[in-house]
Amino acid sequence: MSEKAIALWKDWRLHVIVLGIVAVTESIGIFKIPLGPGTILLLPMLYAVVIGLALYFTPLINDKQSINAEPLVFLSVSILIAKFGVQAGPALPQIIEAGPALLLQEFGNLGTIFLALPLAVFLGMKRESIGMTHSIGREANLALITDKYGLSSPEGRGVMAMYIFGTVFGSIFIGMISGFLATVTPLHPISFAMATGVGSGSMAAASLGPLIAAFPEMSETLTAFSGVSNLISSVTGLYMSIFVGLPLTVKMYEILSKNKEKKTVKGSVEYVKKH
Amino acid sequence: MLKNIKEWIAVFMILGVIMLIGNWIGYDVLPWTALPGIAILIGISLVGLIIHHLLPFQLPSIAYIGIIGLIVTIPGMPGSAQIATYTAEVNLLAIATPILAYAGVSIGRSWFDFVQLGWKTIVVGMVVLFGTFLGSAVIAEIILRFQGII
Repeated sequence: MSEKAIALWKDWRLHVIVLGIVAVTESIGIFKIPLGPGTILLLPMLYAVVIGLALYFTPLINDKQSINAEPLVFLSVSILIAKFGVQAGPALPQIIEAGPALLLQEFGNLGTIFLALPLAVFLGMKRESIGMTHSIGREANLALITDKYGLSSPEGRGVMAMYIFGTVFGSIFIGMISGFLATVTPLHPISFAMATGVGSGSMAAASLGPLIAAFPEMSETLTAFSGVSNLISSVTGLYMSIFVGLPLTVKMYEILSKNKEKKTVKGSVEYVKKH
Repeated sequence: MLKNIKEWIAVFMILGVIMLIGNWIGYDVLPWTALPGIAILIGISLVGLIIHHLLPFQLPSIAYIGIIGLIVTIPGMPGSAQIATYTAEVNLLAIATPILAYAGVSIGRSWFDFVQLGWKTIVVGMVVLFGTFLGSAVIAEIILRFQGII
């Protein structure tokens, strides 16, 4: 660990490239795309993730930089979390008042089970859908499924697919929808700020950014709530998955797939009868 | 441990410089204006990482970092107002851009795995993120309204 870690700061090529990406994307600035009643905000960080990804396929970046970049994401996220923290202190009275909402919104994570699980089953996925849709599929959920089913099981393949999808596409996707949803739905920006805390640190950054850009006058409050929500999720999220999310998904999957089987059996009987 | 701390400090100094420059280009805050703020944020992260290494509990290190940041800025804590003022100079978006730049570079290696996922996985994946995000916001909204906060 320490030997590998020692190389991190020495990877000048990586740091200079990131500095270059930051300089270019920050000078481009924010783009607003009106879409119906809402707005999609394109922020420098969204260009940054796309440019970083694209550079991987150029000779500028090789596997060494890509491997070193991973712990650097974690270390830079820790500065972001510190920023979340110092915004939360002054807002503490407000946060305590909203305490029950912050704790209970964890149940909102189950939204994926009611939306995505039926869709996955409808599209013909089998037990993979349990791994895919029981949670947002970050590191902790990957660990949980691996522990319970093993990574080579259908459930394991499902959670791995979701993990890869979230890693590659998560921050871009959630960064695009958060500002849009906040401007197009009647929900309060604070509710969305709480929702930004559900995923990984980089997803939190990507989804909070457009909220702040859309509601600059509330920036401190939004950051504070996002931070506390992220904190609560990081501590309680895994237990939520263990005790509620996963059992509920398994149960729902059994009900859904049984219904589906009945329908197909019935359908095939009719088919036989007709001919 | 000591090697780790030195390594962390070296990395944080590089990250700090990148964030100060981004903060300057994107949000017109001069680097020396934001310097105390970024130094405080780095200090908090460092203390959180060290505590995480020293304590035997299995809490993620970001839990410590967030709580330390919260404690030092609670109104009434010595220096809390100063810390809040200094750190306010560091724009959150300026911190986020380098994070996602590093993330982009690191994601490259997963790209082929991503391409191999079928379209069904990608559709379901988007609905998973969408459902979690919107579900969480809806529950928060209901309870906040119930409490009369918003």
